[in-house]
This record gives sequence, C-alpha cells and structure tokens, in this order.
Amino acid sequence: MAIEEEKDNKKGFKLLGILDIQKTPCAREALLHGSGGSLVVGLLHFLATSRVRRSFDVGFAGFMLTTLGSWFYCRINNAQLRMQQRLIQDGIKNKLMYEGTALDTVSKPKDKEPCSSCP
Amino acid sequence: MAHPSQLGFQDAASPVMEELLHFHDHALMIVILISTLVLYIIVAMVSTKLTNKYILDSQEIEIVWTVLPAVILILIALPSLRILYLMDEINDPHLTIKAMGHQWYWSYEYTDYENLGFDSYMIPTQDLLPGQFRLLETDHRMVVPVESPIRILVSAEDVLHSWAVPSMGIKMDAVPGRLNQTAFVTSRPGLFYGQCSEICGANHSFMPIVIEAVPLEHFEKWSTVMLQDA
Repeated sequence: MAIEEEKDNKKGFKLLGILDIQKTPCAREALLHGSGGSLVVGLLHFLATSRVRRSFDVGFAGFMLTTLGSWFYCRINNAQLRMQQRLIQDGIKNKLMYEGTALDTVSKPKDKEPCSSCP
Repeated sequence: MAHPSQLGFQDAASPVMEELLHFHDHALMIVILISTLVLYIIVAMVSTKLTNKYILDSQEIEIVWTVLPAVILILIALPSLRILYLMDEINDPHLTIKAMGHQWYWSYEYTDYENLGFDSYMIPTQDLLPGQFRLLETDHRMVVPVESPIRILVSAEDVLHSWAVPSMGIKMDAVPGRLNQTAFVTSRPGLFYGQCSEICGANHSFMPIVIEAVPLEHFEKWSTVMLQDA
C-alpha cells in the first residue's frame, strides 16, 4: 500500500510546481476540456478562413474560455457537493448522539395520555 | 507537517483549511490562465508583421477587456467572501482554552471545569529523541479532543506574539492586554505543528506550538493525569 502510494505521488504533475493537476478537483477535466475546445474551435476557424495565425489566436481564445467555463462550472458543483457531504456527516453524527433522547428528530415522540387530575 | 522544499500549503486538518485550500486552487487556476494569456499576447505582439500607426479607438475590444476582468473578479470574490464569513462562525464550542504568549514559550489554560494550566517550552535540539522534529517539538503539547469545536482565547503577557497552526488555517495575534478569540475543529487525530508568527525577541523562532488531537476518552485521561501532576 505504501509503495503504491509513493508511486502515485511520483506520477503527479504539478503545474508551475504548485498546482497538482491530479489531486486538485476539476483541474484535469478543465484542462482537457480546454484543450479539446481549443482544437475544435481553431480547426473550424482555419477550415472556414484558411488563416493560420488568426486560427491560432481563435484557438487560444477558445482554450481560455472553455477552460474557465469548465473550471467554474465544475468548482461550483464540487463546492455544493462538499457542503452536502458535510451536512450528511453532521446529520449522521447528531443522529447517533441524540438517538433515543428528546432531541432525536427521526423517531416520533409517544403521545402523552390525557391527565385526569390536571386543572 | 511541512516537508523540505515545500512550496504549497500543508494538508488540511480542519474544515476551514480544506475550504481555504479549495479557494487557493480556484484562484491559482485563474491566475495561471491569465498569465498564459498575457504570455501568448506578448509573443503574438512581438512576432507580428502587421503595423498600424493610426488606430484611435476600438469599442469592441475595450468592452471585452473591461467586462471579462470584472466577471472574473466577481467569480473570485464570491467564494472569497463566503470563506471569510465561514471563518467567523463559532458553533457552540465544547471547550475553551487560553493560549498565553510569553518570552519565549506558550502557556495553556483549561479552566472550563478545573484549573489546569501548563507551560509549553521548545525541546532543545540536543534533547530531541530520534524521529522528533527540530525546532518544532515541545515538552507539553496542547491536547484537544478530535472533531470537537474548540474556542481559543489568545493573549500575551509581555510583547506581541502570534499563535499560528498552518495545517488548521489558524493565526491569531497575541496582544498584551487584549483577548483575541478564534475557533477550530480538528478533522482527524494527530499532531499539528505551528510556530510563533510575530517577532518577539531573541528566541522568537524557538517557541513552537503543538496541538495533539486525540479521541475524547484519551483527552479525559490526559487531563486527569495533568491535574494530578500539577
């Protein structure tokens, strides 16, 4: 297990030595979407206009916009998922802690019998 | 725990630090993309054969390079403000600990139930056991129960200090005559190291902080032993 973990650590690629593409959520997907989008947009522009330099510019703009868009969309969903996971974890912890007590929100409280001697 | 030649943050030991790491990745990705764009534009400008000395204005590109940065800044600001307010939340702490800065050691007081207090001095290098970390180990660690909200009240007895634990995303100035409050929750058991983060004299670099997060039963046993030894 330790040897496999070491191999995984060695394989990780760090962009600019800081951003670990494999470990950072959404990084790999965003870069791959951006690369694919860049190729598609650049190629389509070249096929339509036969202008090489402008096609490179358009392809790069496509890379920027596709990467940014994919990154933002994925990160928003990831943040919502993490919040839900935390709420579920807290809910499980609270359920275990308060099970059988008055604060237990899952089990319904028993109906009280009417008090005959009460005013 | 930091390792040699480390550039990035340490692994998160609290939910707040996890959020900070995610925000850092988010901001760094945007910065990398913008830097790549600028580099590409520089190369394109330098290598073009086109020249036009008579451009006076261009409304379209002006609109693009005004609106796009504004949108990017908003998309950075929103998660930033969210984390800012998240860090200020204090959810019913289970324990309150006072961390007092001295020249040159920290003292911790657990006064919720009994009067437990102790000093935390750095272990000198010549007294370290094999496997211990130089300039980071202390003779008495601040022991806390894992996954419990803890309130820390930070102050100082003499000069300015700062109580910092990077893996939990905590840093709070210790000001004489002032009580600063912060809170944290440890996500996992273990040892978490920090160092004084405000210049305080000759041994400023030699007054570390060690938090030991343990299960509640172990914390209860530890506090009982510490009270007996006091």
